[in-house]
Formats: sequence, structure tokens, C-alpha cells
Amino acid sequence: MKKIFVAILLAALALGSTGVRASAQEQDNMSPAEHKRLFREGAKLWPVYCNTCHNARPGSEKAPYEWDQIMMHMRTLGNFPQEDTQAILEYLKAR
Amino acid sequence: MRVSQIFSTFLCALVVAALSSGRAHAADSDADSATASKESRAEMRQLREERKHDRQEIRALETKVHQLEGTNSKVETNAQQIQTTDQKLKETTLELQQTDQWVKTLQTRVNAPITSSQFGGAVEQYLGSHTFTVTGAAGGQFIYDQQSDALDGLHHASQNSFFFDWEPMILYRPTDWILFQGVFSAGFGSTGTGTDLSTADFQLFLNKYMTVVAGLFDQPFGDWYEAQSPMWVNRFITAPLPYGVEPVVPPGELGLQLRGGFQWGALGQDADYTIWGGNGPNFSSDVLGAAMSSPTSIASAETNGKSIGARFRIYPLPVATEWGRLELGASTYNGKWMNGNWFNSWGVDFNYFVGNLQTRGAWLSSYRQMPDGQASDNRQGWYVQAGYFLTGLKVPGIPEMINNYLRRFEPLVRYSGVNQRGVSTDDIEAATGVGLGGTQIGLVPDFGINGSPATYAPHSREVALGLDYWIAPSIVWQNEFDIELPRAGGVFVSSTGAETPAGSIPNDHAFLSQFTIGF
Repeated sequence: MKKIFVAILLAALALGSTGVRASAQEQDNMSPAEHKRLFREGAKLWPVYCNTCHNARPGSEKAPYEWDQIMMHMRTLGNFPQEDTQAILEYLKAR
Repeated sequence: MRVSQIFSTFLCALVVAALSSGRAHAADSDADSATASKESRAEMRQLREERKHDRQEIRALETKVHQLEGTNSKVETNAQQIQTTDQKLKETTLELQQTDQWVKTLQTRVNAPITSSQFGGAVEQYLGSHTFTVTGAAGGQFIYDQQSDALDGLHHASQNSFFFDWEPMILYRPTDWILFQGVFSAGFGSTGTGTDLSTADFQLFLNKYMTVVAGLFDQPFGDWYEAQSPMWVNRFITAPLPYGVEPVVPPGELGLQLRGGFQWGALGQDADYTIWGGNGPNFSSDVLGAAMSSPTSIASAETNGKSIGARFRIYPLPVATEWGRLELGASTYNGKWMNGNWFNSWGVDFNYFVGNLQTRGAWLSSYRQMPDGQASDNRQGWYVQAGYFLTGLKVPGIPEMINNYLRRFEPLVRYSGVNQRGVSTDDIEAATGVGLGGTQIGLVPDFGINGSPATYAPHSREVALGLDYWIAPSIVWQNEFDIELPRAGGVFVSSTGAETPAGSIPNDHAFLSQFTIGF
């Protein structure tokens, strides 16, 4: 069992590590139109995704840099798709 | 007399005239030339005078011209200076206009309140990406627990007590693809002040579809431990029975996870997966019905076996349909305990909310292979709950202010149960491994546990009624009334393995009230 798990983990790390930098770069190069699109999508997803587990908290409750970290954690807990996480973050940070 | 005088005078005049006339005739020619000479001289004099006068005038004019030339030069200089000054004035005016515009802009900015995003952005720029965030929850609780009868001869007494718990979560992001999170609980519980490291792990975001979690984490089995255990998130104060004092699967794990999600259809139609492995299950003893005390520490004698788990969830409803959010999940967790005995578990869960209605539930089952050829230790648990926000309620005939208060309420109901062959009396009397790091003592209430003996019955059942008053999305005053309805059946197991039938189990009641702030 241990061998299987280690093999899965190593394969995942090898596959996944190539995408780390690309993901960060994509966010940096986002155009204003893309920001607007994400905001509109985030406005739809925010009440749906957040209310699945708890009351959706408004963006004004936290500073943008705090939402960056909280949404990273929520992405992990909720297994949100990366694009949806980005959209909700865009919405929360705009308040 | 007078006539004589006139006559004499007349006579004299005649004489003089006569004399003069004579002389004139004599000198006519000379006189003409002299006259001409005189005239010439006079003319000469006059000309001289005129010339002199003209010279004077010319000098005067020359002086005036010089003066005028000097004056003109000064005028030209002055004109040039005026032109230069005018140019400077224009430039200064332009600068003043620009300054005025800038001042107006600044004034507008000063007068306008800074937006939160601007402030946040400034803070973010200042702090950079290496930032901490503290979130979590704090709560105060009061429990009244009516213990109406004994459980297997154990001491019992109705109790009431206040509790306080503080559960900060610290998030640290070294970069945009690594996050560290840690939760520790500090509270004044049944044994006084206690602390507990609930979770602590690194989250590495490998790509869009993969995240690695390494450390101490809530068991990703179903969604209760991971998503519903924080006190401000759980709609009730207590946990459903399968996640309380008699857990069917270990509440936590120390190990690694690989997890992620993806959209397979329209917006909102997602699926996610989690696979994990760790130190494996651990039990308080090797007798039947022993409580789980995972995560397994290195000091435990039961560390030889490891565990592996998997969970898959699907969300079939698109956001655009406005049919709400439905989650359907299936989980399994398997491992070895005490040097080679199997522990297997699986479960299904659902969660659905639409509008003001929210429902969730789970069914889970576990099999524990017992040593020395004993019969297996099987456990099943389930729960189903529903809540309805009264948002939008308008009761006719009562003041709007009262309606505003009523709209903040959320009535709740939950039914949960556990079936297991036996329960270890040691676990009832001593620490159970739940609450604040195992500080809870059997039959004594603690934060999130009403302490009723009936919850420790082998076939426990509970109906919980709740009434939450939401002050803000994460600030809530919760009230819960628990009705314990245990079924007969099962055995109590002593530390030596001796079994006695559970017999009659008291139907207890408990009331809990809790004020919680999620921050």
C-alpha cells in the first residue's frame, strides 16, 4: 500500500510541478476585460459555492490580501476548480 | 493869445517844411542808395537774426530729437520687458490653472473616502505576498444536561455549566502556490483550560487540478469533519452522533493528500477528488467498541499499519438553472491498526441547498478486524438535517421591527444515530478523544458535546432541534434542544473484554446555548 501511495504521489508531483509557474503567470497577465469577466462569474458563484458549507461572507469583511489566502484555503477545502476560485476572489476583492 | 500861438506854430512848421523840401531835392540820388544799403543791412541783420533763431530752434529740435530717441529706446525696452512679463504671466497663469486643477483633484480625492480595495491594495503592496491572516472562531456556551438515570452503573448527575472556546486559524502564504494553515483550540472545558492543535498542514498548488496537502488534517471522509466542524459553520452546537463521542471513522489523519476539482459541464457542474494516506486508524484499546483516537502518533504501538482513503464528489446542477447546489459524495478509508488488523470504512453523503432551505446528510459504515479471532467490531452511523432561513418572512399584523428580528432566525432539525456492537466503558469513564484534544471526560458535557449518557449507548439515537439567530453571516446565537432516544441492544465492554448487555438506556434531554463569532 505504501509503495502505491508513494508512486501516486511522485507521479502527481512530477505532473503537477510543471503547471505551478504557468498558473501564476496567467494571473499576472490578465487583461481588464478578463478581470471583468471573472468578476461577473464570481458574482454568480460566490453565493452558490460559499453557501454550500456556510453563510457567504461579504468581501468587505476582509482585506484583499486576506482573501488571497482565505480563498487559497477554501480552494483546497472545497476542491474548487482553479478558474472558479479566481472568479470568486475577483468578486470578493472588488467588494 | 491863443490864436497867436497857433499862428506862430503854423509858421514855424512851414519854414521847416520848406527847408526840408530843399534838402530832399538835393540829395535824391544818394539817399536812394543809402536806403537800399540800409535795407540790405537790415535784411542782413534780419537774416542773421532769423538764422540765429533757426539754429536755436534746430538745436532745440535736435535736443528734442535726442530726448525723443532716448525716450523711444526706453519705451522699446519697456515694451520688451512688458512682453517678457506678459509671457511669464501667461505661463504663471497656466501653471496656476494646472495647480488649481491638481488641487481640486487632490481635494476630491481627499474628500472621497478611501475604498476598501484601495486600502487593501496599499496594505498588500506594503506587506507583499509573505503575509499572515488570522481567521477562525470564538464561542461561549452554556449547557444544561438532564441525566435522568445511570448508564451501566456509572455515576450520573444533571449538570449545567458555561464553557468558552477559541479556535484561531493562522494562514501563511510564502508564495502564490504554497499556503500553510494551522488551527489550534484553546478553551476552558470540562477539565479546565486546555489547548489542542487541531490541524496544521501545507497546501501546495501544483496546477489547476492538483493540490498536495501535507500534515495534520481533518479526515476528508464525507464532508462533516472538513467542512462542518468549525463552530460557526455547524448549524447545530453539537456534532451528529456518528461524528461525536462514538465516531465511525477517525476524525483526523497525519499524512498526505492529493486533491483537486474540475468543471465537467456548465458553470457549477463540477466534480472533485481527494486521495490521501497517513498513519492510519488508532483505537483507545484493543477491546470491542474502543473509541477511535486518531491521528496516530509515533509513540503509539499501533503505527505499523498505514492508511489510504479516497473521496469523489459530483455537483450536477448548473448555476444558471437556479435550482440550487447539490453535492453527492462517496468516500472510503482503509488501513491497518495494531500491527496488521484491517480497518475498512465507506460512506455516502449529500448536501443540497436552494433558496432558504439547506439539507445535508450522510451514511457511513466501518469494519474493524479484531485480534485473536474475535468477531469484528462493526459500526454504522447516519444523520440527516434540514434548516430553513426565515429571510423574507413577513407576518401580517405585527410591526415591521418584529418582522426584521424574525427574519434572522433559522429553525433546524436533525436526526442522527449510531449502531455498534459494543461500547467500551473505559471510554465512557475516561477521555474519549473528542473535544479539546481528548480532555473530555465521559458523561461530562464539553464544548460541542452535551455529555448525556445516552449518546454513549451502543444504539444511540438523537433528535436535535435548533433555533439559530443570525446577527451577521458569521455571528450567530445558537440554541439546541437534544432529545436522546437510544435503542436497546448492544453490549458494554470492560477493559478486560467482559461484555454486559446494555439494557435500559435513559432518555435524556439537554439544552445548549452558544454565542459564536467567526472571524
